Amino acid sequence: MIIAVLATAAGIWFARLVLQRTVVEDELAATRFPVAREIQPFELVDHNHAVFNNAALQQRWSFVFFGYTYCPDVCPTTLSVLNSIAQRLQDVDEDIRFVMVTVDPQRDTPERLAEYVTYFNGDFLGVTGSDQELEQLTRQLGILYNRVESENGSENYLVDHTAAVFLFDPDGRYHAVFTPPLSAENIAGDFRKMLKATQ
Amino acid sequence: MKLVNRQQAAVLFMLLLSFMTTAMAGAAVVVEGQWVREAPPTSTVLAAYMVLKNTADTPRTVTRIDSPDFRNSQIHRTFMEDGIAKMLPVDKLQLPANGSVVLEPGGLHLMLFDPLRTLRDGDTVVLVIHADNGDSVTVDAPVVRKTDATDHAHHHH
Repeated sequence: MIIAVLATAAGIWFARLVLQRTVVEDELAATRFPVAREIQPFELVDHNHAVFNNAALQQRWSFVFFGYTYCPDVCPTTLSVLNSIAQRLQDVDEDIRFVMVTVDPQRDTPERLAEYVTYFNGDFLGVTGSDQELEQLTRQLGILYNRVESENGSENYLVDHTAAVFLFDPDGRYHAVFTPPLSAENIAGDFRKMLKATQ
Repeated sequence: MKLVNRQQAAVLFMLLLSFMTTAMAGAAVVVEGQWVREAPPTSTVLAAYMVLKNTADTPRTVTRIDSPDFRNSQIHRTFMEDGIAKMLPVDKLQLPANGSVVLEPGGLHLMLFDPLRTLRDGDTVVLVIHADNGDSVTVDAPVVRKTDATDHAHHHH
């Protein structure tokens, strides 16, 4: 009898916990950290050959995606989503930047990246660097990428890569992450809520 | 005279039969909504999307889709594993009887390598869909510039 009562009480308590959590998760599609995470020093180069480092993340919000220009499906789809987010947030009085960091520096030169990212939106920025330089950033964000050799010859190899979109705040800190399936509507909506919370 | 007529009738019947089976077999796989994503200027890898419908009462297998407008092509599948986007070649597509298979962004797609000419929005490429019974269907696919997202919001209620 006591056990049954205890079990019921535990069940109710657990159900409440789950319900509460569901409500919180419903409010935001993104994973946001209670405290934004500091980013350790890194230094890359953007498609204009300018330095892209911790300082470049400051004074503006940055949506950052990791991809590569030989990627025909996921990357164009994600960059299209990012462009839709940019359109949806046009009225926001904040400096917002959209960046694609390549996970394929062997093929993605700054010139190639420039042509690729600006095709989707003239304000998008492409970023590259050596493998070691890229690792300085990807390792602390938990980003994984892996070159997969293809039977179609070495020039057409594929790169598996983390498909999430990372958000950095104007202090250059890692603020939130959006995981697939990526929805421009949800991400833009989440961004407005997060912006409100920081003001 | 009667014999000739019978022969003629037989030939005609055979012709009709072969025409009918070819027409029916050819119509078994129907391609709908096909399009090729226009790529940024430097890109040499494009993707094509479509719905492959099997109108036959028996399953059908698509073994290959190629294009005279590209040097090479391969059916691929994008999938997510622990948040990582991966792509794998797909040997063949099984179309269930009276069913369909959808090639769409973020899922199954046709990789098109090395276009033989510059392809821009409004251009058309030829796709040839080959089935395991030797049939093939040839369709025109428009090249489409798509730089914004058709939003699929995933709300959980």
